[in-house]
Formats: sequence, structure tokens, C-alpha cells
Amino acid sequence: MTTNKTGKQNWGMVVDVDKCTGCQACVLACQSENNVPINTQERFERGRAISWIRVERYWEGNYPDVKARFIPIMCQHCENAPCEPVCPVYATYHNSEGLNVQVYNRCVGTRYCANGCPFTVRFFNYWEPVWPESFRNHLNPDVTVRSRGIMEKCSFCVQRIRRGVRTAKKENRDLIDGEIQTACSQACPTSALVFGDLNDNNSAVSKMKHDERTYKLLPHLNLDQNVVYLAKVDPEKKIESHSVESGSHD
Amino acid sequence: MKLNRREFLSLAGKSAAGAVIFAACGLPEKELIVQSPVEMPEDLVKGEDQWYATTMGDFPGGDGIIVRIMEGRAKKIEGNPDHPITQGKSNARYDSALQMLYHPDRIREPLSRYSKGGNLNGISWTRAIKEFKDALNTGGNMTLVTNPLRGHPGSIASKFASHYGGVHINFDPIEQGILHKTVENIFDQKSLPHLDIGNAKSIMSFGADWLSTWVSPVQYSRFYGSFRSQSDRGYFIHVDPRMSMTAANADLWLPVKPSYEGDLALGIARIIVEEKLTSEINIEAYKKYLSPGFLNGYQLRDVSHRTGLPEEKIKKAAHIISEKTPAIVFGGGSTEAHTNGSFNLRAVYGLNILLGSVGVTGGVLPNPSSEIDDLPASSSGASMKEWEEELSHWRAGNVDTVIIRGVDLAHGLPNFLGIAEALNNVKNVIVFSTFEDDTTELADLVLPDSTFLESWGTDIPEPAPGYLVLSVQQPVVVSNSRGFADVLLEVSEEAIGSTQENMITSTITTLQKTGTGSVKASNSRLYKKGIQQRGGWWNTNYSGNISGSYRESSKTGEISTFSKTNSLGEGTEFHLIPFVSNSLLNGQLAPTPWAQQNPDPMSTVAWVTWAELNKSEADELNIDEGDILLIKSTSGEIEALAYPHPGVQPGTICIPTGQGNSKKGRYAENRGSNVFAILADKKDSETGALAWAATKVVVQRSGRNKKVAKFEGTVEARPIEPGVPVLVLGSGETADEAITANHHIYQNQFLNNSHADTGVSHKDDETKTDH
Repeated sequence: MTTNKTGKQNWGMVVDVDKCTGCQACVLACQSENNVPINTQERFERGRAISWIRVERYWEGNYPDVKARFIPIMCQHCENAPCEPVCPVYATYHNSEGLNVQVYNRCVGTRYCANGCPFTVRFFNYWEPVWPESFRNHLNPDVTVRSRGIMEKCSFCVQRIRRGVRTAKKENRDLIDGEIQTACSQACPTSALVFGDLNDNNSAVSKMKHDERTYKLLPHLNLDQNVVYLAKVDPEKKIESHSVESGSHD
Repeated sequence: MKLNRREFLSLAGKSAAGAVIFAACGLPEKELIVQSPVEMPEDLVKGEDQWYATTMGDFPGGDGIIVRIMEGRAKKIEGNPDHPITQGKSNARYDSALQMLYHPDRIREPLSRYSKGGNLNGISWTRAIKEFKDALNTGGNMTLVTNPLRGHPGSIASKFASHYGGVHINFDPIEQGILHKTVENIFDQKSLPHLDIGNAKSIMSFGADWLSTWVSPVQYSRFYGSFRSQSDRGYFIHVDPRMSMTAANADLWLPVKPSYEGDLALGIARIIVEEKLTSEINIEAYKKYLSPGFLNGYQLRDVSHRTGLPEEKIKKAAHIISEKTPAIVFGGGSTEAHTNGSFNLRAVYGLNILLGSVGVTGGVLPNPSSEIDDLPASSSGASMKEWEEELSHWRAGNVDTVIIRGVDLAHGLPNFLGIAEALNNVKNVIVFSTFEDDTTELADLVLPDSTFLESWGTDIPEPAPGYLVLSVQQPVVVSNSRGFADVLLEVSEEAIGSTQENMITSTITTLQKTGTGSVKASNSRLYKKGIQQRGGWWNTNYSGNISGSYRESSKTGEISTFSKTNSLGEGTEFHLIPFVSNSLLNGQLAPTPWAQQNPDPMSTVAWVTWAELNKSEADELNIDEGDILLIKSTSGEIEALAYPHPGVQPGTICIPTGQGNSKKGRYAENRGSNVFAILADKKDSETGALAWAATKVVVQRSGRNKKVAKFEGTVEARPIEPGVPVLVLGSGETADEAITANHHIYQNQFLNNSHADTGVSHKDDETKTDH
């Protein structure tokens, strides 16, 4: 059970890179849940595919000792978000629950936020999203369909948070850890993505973030992200010992 | 609707309901929605949703799912948290299946062709059923072809074929018959056994892309998550000529020469036996399994030479799986798709006997055979040898009626079989299909098939999780489409049963009488409802027995033979290895844009057919990414865009399945190439299964180039430190230690003004890492 009452959460995610297989289940689950437009062949060819969560694949080494590494990247929901102060119309702001929120009907499409984001997780709608009439049946009614000229990004499935909070309130109880899941963490078949309340010391995310494999992306930028990563383990990796002479680091 | 102006404005101003009312009055909705600047739809909870439990029918694995329904429309598919296979988890294909339901290019009505070669014309269901009955009543031979079916659909299909004196055969373009036969012979299991990956300390897999598409990927991925969560992190070895998604997750990848997987398994066995790395009891059991002296030809040096793998890596693999126990060894995919496929799998699965992994936690565990109403619990496609025989009957005009359902036969069978010619000699070709495809092009009567979200059915997941499971499929949306099984029942005039729902209800009553399983209820109505709510029935106490002894005399190893390419003209000879697409499968999901645009996990390519070949080899041959390659075999020629891949063995070319459809709706039509078409006539020497990884091809550059649609390069890499995109720890290392070490490496490079190889591929500079 949470230690905080409803409405006092600090939502966060832990990504265990060691368990991510790169299967893309999270990517499609997110697209379906959040009415992300269909990425046509042209969008890929022009480098303008929209993917609120993406699985990056990196190659290391050369054949036959080559390795492929996967890492899921989504909005990091920074406490010190560089995308927020640059927005001239306050379309993006930080709420009290740790969410970096995008208000679509304020956005005028300057794209300053995308320039400011060091993770490239903000996407601009260069085109009006198009679905054949029959596909509109499966659009999620809880989520706005963004029009051309609007910036969009991962919302931590805020619509699921609202639904979960309302349910708990109706039942006059606290939220239960794991009760609210983002579409990506729900789908992830290896449970590499775990979502929860970082204010709750007993939540799975709070426990996991104290693991000795924990790190954050671009730590030197001091963004204080609410997405935490657990490093990949490779038993074949030779641990480099570095001498003091080779340069100190404090 | 009558509304005065005051009421009208009052309603509109108060809530979004106004917008609905206005829309209903024919006024433009856009003008009337007034939103608070910070209260978007995401902030409001609108309406109640319903979640219905059902089953991913027609997809392998028998996965239990839940479907979110709002206002009668299906919105989302997720794994069923209650279901033993999925436990709330899913894969990249679940939601794509949703688009099958609402696809604008679905076949909406039965289609009939007045004469062979004529056009298909829309007809009524009444007339279609009459034509169907007329075809069956001619009295000639009949063949029913389906995808591998289990549960009620499988039972109904078989009974229907028997009722009309015909035969029922399954088709699977990526055959798994050798796998089923090997498992039956070694473990005495009709169904595939339960691989207890989550509790194993080490895994060695051969060929099978089990985290992506092989057999039951959601179930196996769940186990993999547990495997990696153990305090003593499990060690995973994968053997495959191509770095597949599964291989990419292995701690040790062994890129074996194609078809030498069996040699590698026996080479490892010899090391374990010689160095006594396992108990005497296990060695004795293994000796009983093998012919005397069977390991004689598998000295380390010879095996290393044949497999193309360094001796130390083979030795390392032998030590890991024998020291980190319980260990599981399994295989499939391209390992069984050679002319020596049976030998390969026998050698692979036999290692479990040597390691003492049969019947133990963290090893290979039994699965029960179904004893529910004689429903089939296991199913695999017929072998290519059987298909050749069947098609010879069609070609000779000995079969009057062929009914095809759930498979695109004309797309999945290689050119050399001449399926079009064979079907042209069949008087009545009746095809059930959701979309027009290559096979409906050859049909006389096309019947629109419902999706699994619209019809009843059951499935017995294979492999089960160690106990008996019956997944129940129910319609979750209102639809006027008709399911294949129900049409068969209607045509047979209830000779087999009335409706599929009634037959399932009868089975549920039988289950209730056993007094066992996951549902308890006071009456049959509540019992059925309980099963529907949970998505099925399972009995955790109902398992089976497993043994680890081979029941046939072991045959000696043999070298696979490959197709010849001598007559194909100039070009470079490659070994073709097709692989199942992570999003399209073998083409089942090709109609949906979500599946088409979902990037491949390794290449990140979408929408097109690409050919992976070794990056260094491509450089030597002056092949660049996007070069259009002509890939020729003795069976035909296809085109694909070159994708130089760092993880493909030199001399091999790997092409995904699923594209190259002449129809299948606006998103798939005439897109990419069909790799099945060019497979050569090569079969497993023991079972006659198609050796789909034994084709040699000649590759030529066409001189044309096209930009490859891929996600790679869309965004810049975001490193921890420059040159370090993904933080990797060695055993016992902490994140802080690794970050400090990486920082020092980078600093040294910077201070020395040199860019020593950090092992990471670079695109433009050290901060833009290619991914």
C-alpha cells in the first residue's frame, strides 16, 4: 500500500536494460494506447517517424565478437526539464505528480521544446494524422488525436493514471502499487519496464531504484529524471582497471 | 429532437455532452467542443470500459488476452493477467491483430467465380452455402487445408473432413514437424514439453528465435525475465548463423556454419563426457541414448573446423552448461530446416539427457496430453513430402473439392511445387479468408472469415506451462461475420454439432463434472460465465510424465546437402536463411499498418523486404545499404534492399518472411518480396520436411538503389558518456564503477587526441552513435 494519499504521487519508471530483449511490444502498445499516428513508409524515409517510446539498438565490436545492445527510450519526465522553460506559451509544464505534461491546445508548434530536449523524445506532427474511417473505431477515446503542427510525447499514460486514481477514490482507498500501469510496462513480456510511485517507499520502483546497477541518462546535465535505468550485465565484459595517472575523476 | 434555445445553450456550455448532442443534430462537432486549457481528454475520465477475456485464436501459442471494449468497439488488446501463458504480458503482434478487425479492405461478402479465370463477384450467404453444399455433394474426393489447429476448431475441421470422406491436413510455411517428432521420440511427449527457463541456471538454444517468434514467445519472454532476475544471473548461449533478436540477448553467441548445429551439440557432448563434467549416471543414460562409439567423429578440433567456431568457445559452452545447472538445451527454427534437420535436433535435445535436465525443475518438464473431449492438444504442419503427394492428386484431377482456411497456400508454398497449376485442376476451390490474397486469386468460392475477436473457439496452448490449460475464445464485439467452424457445422447440417458455442458449452459441462480446475461454481451457467471471465480453464494438478530415452535407433550424423546454383549466371553465391518477421509473422499480419510499420528489432527496417548480409563482406562486394539485390535460386528470383548487418555470418544472406503479397489490402499489396517463393526443393532426409534453410542463391546487384525505410538514424544517440550509449557492467561491477571507468577511457582518448576503438560503431562523431 502507498504511504501517500491519492494525488500525492511522484510517478516514475525503472527500465531494466538487462531484461529488455528489444521485442518492440512496448512500442506498439504505446502506439495503440495513445493514438500515435501510423508511421508510413514516407515518414521513415524522411526520418520523421513518431514513436513515444523507442527501442534503440546499438552495435558493439566486430563480427564474430559483435554485440547488439537494446535500450528503450521515452520521455524521461525530468524534474529540471529543459523543454519546459523554452516554451513561449506554457504548453509544457511540470505537474505536482512528477509528470512532464504537454497541453496540446496551447501548443503553437515552435518546436523549441524539441530543440531543448536532449533525449529526442518530443515529436512534431508535420502532417495531419490519417486513419481510414474504419480504423477510427479502435482509437482510444481517452486520448486526444493530435493535429498537424502540434508537439507530442510520452505522457506516462496520464489517462490511465486518472482512471486509476478515480477508481481508488470511488472505493475510498489508497492506490495499490502496480494498480496503475502504463501501456508499455503492461505489455513488456520480460517486465523490463516497471512503473509506479517513487514517493511510496514500498513500491517496486522505489526498491529497484536503489539497486547498484542504477543510473540515469546524461547524468552530467542534472536533469533529475523520473526514469531510472538498471545497467545491462555482460559476464563476458572485461572490467577495465584504470590507474590514477590516467586521469582523475571526481 | 426538440430543444429550445435556452436548453440548448445550457447543455452545450456545461459539458462535453453538448458536443455529442450537437453532432447528433448535424452541427459541426469541432465548433462546439469547449475545452479548458489544461483539462484535456487525458485528464477526464469518460465512460466506463469493459474488458473481456478471450484467446489469440489462429496465432501460435494459444495466448490468453483481454480486450478493452468501449461503446461496443474494441480498443486495445493486452495479455490476460489470469491466464497461465501470458500473465498480463503481450508482444508486438497483439494490437496489430486489432487492425485486422477494423481493416477497411476486409472481404465483406461471399465471392464467387462463374468460371476458372473469371472475376470474383459478390453473392449472398444463402447462395454461398448452397454452392458449398453442392460442391461437397458431388461425391468426389475432398481435402480440407487449415493452419495448425488445436481445440474445438481443430476437432471440428477433422470431423468435417471425415464426415465427407476427405482428409484434413495442416499447413505451416515454417514447418515444425521435425521438432514435434524429436520431442516425441526423446521425451515420449506428444505435445511440446514445458521448458522451465525461469528456473534454469544456464540455457543453450539452437536456431530458435524464441524471444521473438518461435513457438510461444510471450510465455518464453516471461520466463526469460525470471531467468535474468535470479540472484545468480543465468547464463545464456545461443547458436545461430544469424544474430537474431534472441541471439542478441545471449551472453555468448556462436555463429555456427549453417547445418552444422548437430555437430556442435555432439562436440559439446564429447567434451562433457571426456572431461566428466557431469555425473556418471547422466553419462550412462546418455550412452544408452546413443549408438556405441557415436561420439567418435566429434573431436574438438574436427568440430571446430566443421562448425567454423573457435575451439575455446566450444569448450567454454560445454563447461558453462555442465557447471551451471540445471541447464536447458533446445532448438528449432533454421536448425531443423536442413536436409539433416532431424539429426541436428536429435543431437541438440539429447544434451538434456547428458546434463540430467529431464524432469527436473529448471529443466525439461512434462506437459499433459489433452483428455478434454478428445480435443487435439498438439498440431503441426504436414511435411513437404506429404504436400508433394497431395498436390500430385490435385494436379491429376483426383480431388474435386479443396477447402482452404487460415493459410495463404499460394504465398507460403515454394514455386517449385506449382500450387497454381495444381489448384487449376481442382473443380471446386473454396477459400475462407479475411482478406483477398494470393490463394483467393485461385479460388472459385471465397467465404469471408471472421477474426478471433468475433467468433467462438478454444485452444490448448502448446507448449502448456506444465499443466493442462484450455483457453476459451469468445466474440468480444458484435459482428455479422461468420466463423469458419460455424460455417462448416451449418454446411454439414449439424451432423457434427449444432454451433461451436454449444459444443464449447458441452465441453465446459464435462469440465465442471470433473470437479477440478480453476473455476468453481454452483451451477452450469455460472460455471460457464466463470470460464469466460477468466479466459479459460486450467488444472495445475494435471501434469504428465516425461522420460529421457530415445525410442529409435540413433542414426549417425550426416552433412546437409544444399541446392545447386551452377546455372544461375554470374553473381556471388550465398546460403539463404529466411527468418520469421517479428511483426508480420509469415504474412498473417501483413495487411495491418501497425505490423508493417513496426521496426524490425535488429535492422529497424519497416514496410519493405530487406536482405541482411555481413557488413564486411558487403563492403568487399561494394554493396551499399539500399542497393536493390537480385536474389536467384533454382526456384525463382526476388528483389530485396541490401542491409549490411554486423551480425550475419559471411556467406549467408538472411531475408524476412511476410511480404510479397499480390493482395491483402492497401497496406500489403505488391509490397516487398516473398522469400518462400524461391526456396529450393530440399527436404529433411528422415521426415521429408522442407529444408527451408538449405537453399543456395546467387546474388547480383541490380544497379538500382532505394532509401531503406528504417528507424535507425531517426534520432541521435543519447550516451551516458560520449561513445557509451548503453551502460554495460561486468560481473560484480556497479553502475558507478562502470561510469567512472568509461569516463576515464573517454578522457584518455580525448587527452591523447586519439579515437581508439571503444567497440562502439560511430556514425559522424563520438556523440552520434549509430543505433
